[in-house]
Amino acid sequence: MRKRFCGSGEHVISRRGFLGTMAAGGVAACADMTAIQALAAPEISAELRRNQKRCILLWLAGGASQLETWDPKPGAVTGGPFQAIQTSVPGIHISELMPRMARRLKDTAIIRSLNTRNADHNSAAEMMMRGRPREAGLNYPDLGAVLSRELGQESSPVPDYVAFYFATEGRNMAPSNPGFLGARHGAMDLYTSMIPENIRRNGISEQDHIERADLRGTLSRGFERGRSSLTIDSHSHAYSRVRGLMSSEALFDIGREPQRIRDMYGPTLFGQQTLAARRLVEAGVPFVRVGRAWWDSHGHNFETHQEMVPELDQVMCTLLDDLEQRGLLESTLVITLAEFGRTPNINSQLGRDHFASAWSCSLSGCGIRGGSVYGRSDATGQRVADGEINAARLFATIYRALGINHRKNYHVGARPIPLTDPGTEPIREVLA
Amino acid sequence: MPASSPRNLRSVRDINRRDILFSVARLPNSDTLIVGSSDNKVHELNAGQNNPPDRELADHGRYVTSVRLVGTRTVVSGGYDGRLIWWDRERGEVIRTVAAHTRWVRQLAVSPDGTKLASVADDMVCRIWNATTGERIRELRGHAARTPTNFGSMLYACVFSADGRKLATGDRVGRVIIWNVEDGRQLGAVDAPTLYTWDGVQRIRSIGGVRGLAFNPDGTQIAVGGVGQIGNVDALQGPSRVEVFNWARAERLFFFTGQQGIVNRLVWHPANEWLCAIGGGSNGLVMFHDPARRASIHQGNIPMHVHDVAFNEDHTRLYAVGHQKISVMDLRA
Repeated sequence: MRKRFCGSGEHVISRRGFLGTMAAGGVAACADMTAIQALAAPEISAELRRNQKRCILLWLAGGASQLETWDPKPGAVTGGPFQAIQTSVPGIHISELMPRMARRLKDTAIIRSLNTRNADHNSAAEMMMRGRPREAGLNYPDLGAVLSRELGQESSPVPDYVAFYFATEGRNMAPSNPGFLGARHGAMDLYTSMIPENIRRNGISEQDHIERADLRGTLSRGFERGRSSLTIDSHSHAYSRVRGLMSSEALFDIGREPQRIRDMYGPTLFGQQTLAARRLVEAGVPFVRVGRAWWDSHGHNFETHQEMVPELDQVMCTLLDDLEQRGLLESTLVITLAEFGRTPNINSQLGRDHFASAWSCSLSGCGIRGGSVYGRSDATGQRVADGEINAARLFATIYRALGINHRKNYHVGARPIPLTDPGTEPIREVLA
Repeated sequence: MPASSPRNLRSVRDINRRDILFSVARLPNSDTLIVGSSDNKVHELNAGQNNPPDRELADHGRYVTSVRLVGTRTVVSGGYDGRLIWWDRERGEVIRTVAAHTRWVRQLAVSPDGTKLASVADDMVCRIWNATTGERIRELRGHAARTPTNFGSMLYACVFSADGRKLATGDRVGRVIIWNVEDGRQLGAVDAPTLYTWDGVQRIRSIGGVRGLAFNPDGTQIAVGGVGQIGNVDALQGPSRVEVFNWARAERLFFFTGQQGIVNRLVWHPANEWLCAIGGGSNGLVMFHDPARRASIHQGNIPMHVHDVAFNEDHTRLYAVGHQKISVMDLRA
């Protein structure tokens, strides 16, 4: 039987808290009680909700401009037409296109010094989804798969990794990838429907599903007899969860949200999907990626950002408010990230091109020292002037914020594969 | 071949710049240009020289997107700060500053008799001002603030008819409204949806809009310029496009297209000899079209993406401004 949990201290603490709450509630329980059973008791549910770490990645596919979001340069020749506005944190300014986030920066750390040295959509997206460049012969899992593995609950009735990506452009540049962790940690990818088509029952009865599962089990046992393979094991695990996932359909249905909440997120697809992401993490899904494409503004960059950044501002601010009001922000990390940023130089079409030498991302909520800025780009945004970091350091920071030991190893055969390369340190300045 | 023809179009002079010039106004009977710049300033220079000295009129604080002359002494500039500023160009002094709009000012137009100034901005309102006193005469509301997919719209262009009685305004989604200047009534509207590309499948965002407007000499037709439908909205990779309407009947009469890029300005010859469309993609483009015969006269290039153009009095010379360059071109044989 493959070991499910990594054994890190974080899980021990989590389970200790969980068991402590069980005792406090006077409830007889056993350590292998599943999450769905535990959720039946309100006091346990509350503790679980607090302790289980989750992550929502707002993936700004195509490359949002740092100058029109987190690192404005008003007055510089490269600055573009937008102004910087004061945030709720003295001394920190962001683009005027983000007035709502400016007012609630208290939970957000801005990183302005990414130098990831790769301005190609495909390979940069792959790198920024994995925290490392591609390595021949090693199929490394993406962030969602790693967090599924590290934060997911055994026998969870909900998926561990959900990814929304409706735009067709860029979809194949950063596909979800469980890599060597196996299909158990693969994403439930949503490309066309807010509710997964493959968990809709579509007239198939509960009894039909039971019988189908029994038949599959019979056939699988026959196939597996005498064979041992991580792949078979992983697929069997994934199938065994299907019936549980079928009960997840309601989680994706934002129509069950009060209209007031839906209005707060706004009517756009990105707003609706982010609301669905909040519903999912609230129910215990450890990782949701919401892909907002496509920011690749080689022409009319400013109008593109005039269109898209206010949407990001509204959706992100609403998400943080919503998580906070539900007591989930302390345990949920919200990331804005892309494959790269955009050139400071403005081209002849009033566009900005691909740029990976000095760009920005943000981390909010769980484990993050809010109201902080790390790193600095130079006066025109061409280079990192202070605090340069790469993808590995960013991922080490994400892991640490979520309570995951970034130095731990996975093993592919006998080969140890570290979560981040040896010697990589998280950015302690942005960690709570 | 007549002494002056678009077919003769040739470069007279290019003046290199470090900034991006969004707008130009020309002092009558001279080569003196007033330009609005990405360096937030209004500049005055003599385009009759190869390396002209540059006189800064003042700092607007944001991109200056439109400059227009009222008479020969007063310049009005509008910018992304939402303000209109009247300048005395001879004394280099501010006459007045008006907080005209709550969002980016996109374009200004002066009525042919020089008495009225129109401004359009991304607050989706057109305001008409007394060009001399700066007093607001009226405001025109009718363009939708949101696009059909719930993103903020933009109001890019405005132009007076030759008799000054009508004003046209054009927005991001391709809607053009014709207004009665005297009382603010809406006289008509035409739609050019081809000029707005909403990509709801591949990239889930939009590009385009009505960037250029021009009435024909008798004011019965309106030309509308921009970029046609784009497959990849990452850049201006669609055909430059002009559509001409009989606005009273809301009937499109004809259209023409050119090389990849967007038409930023339209100028209709006062004697109906041609309709000039100018703009660009990675490079600059210019098209001269015969509106009577509905046939192309000339299509060519300008060595930079062009944002605005001014002609001399007899329309034999043009002064194009745009990406890091001013280009002076001649139509004379």
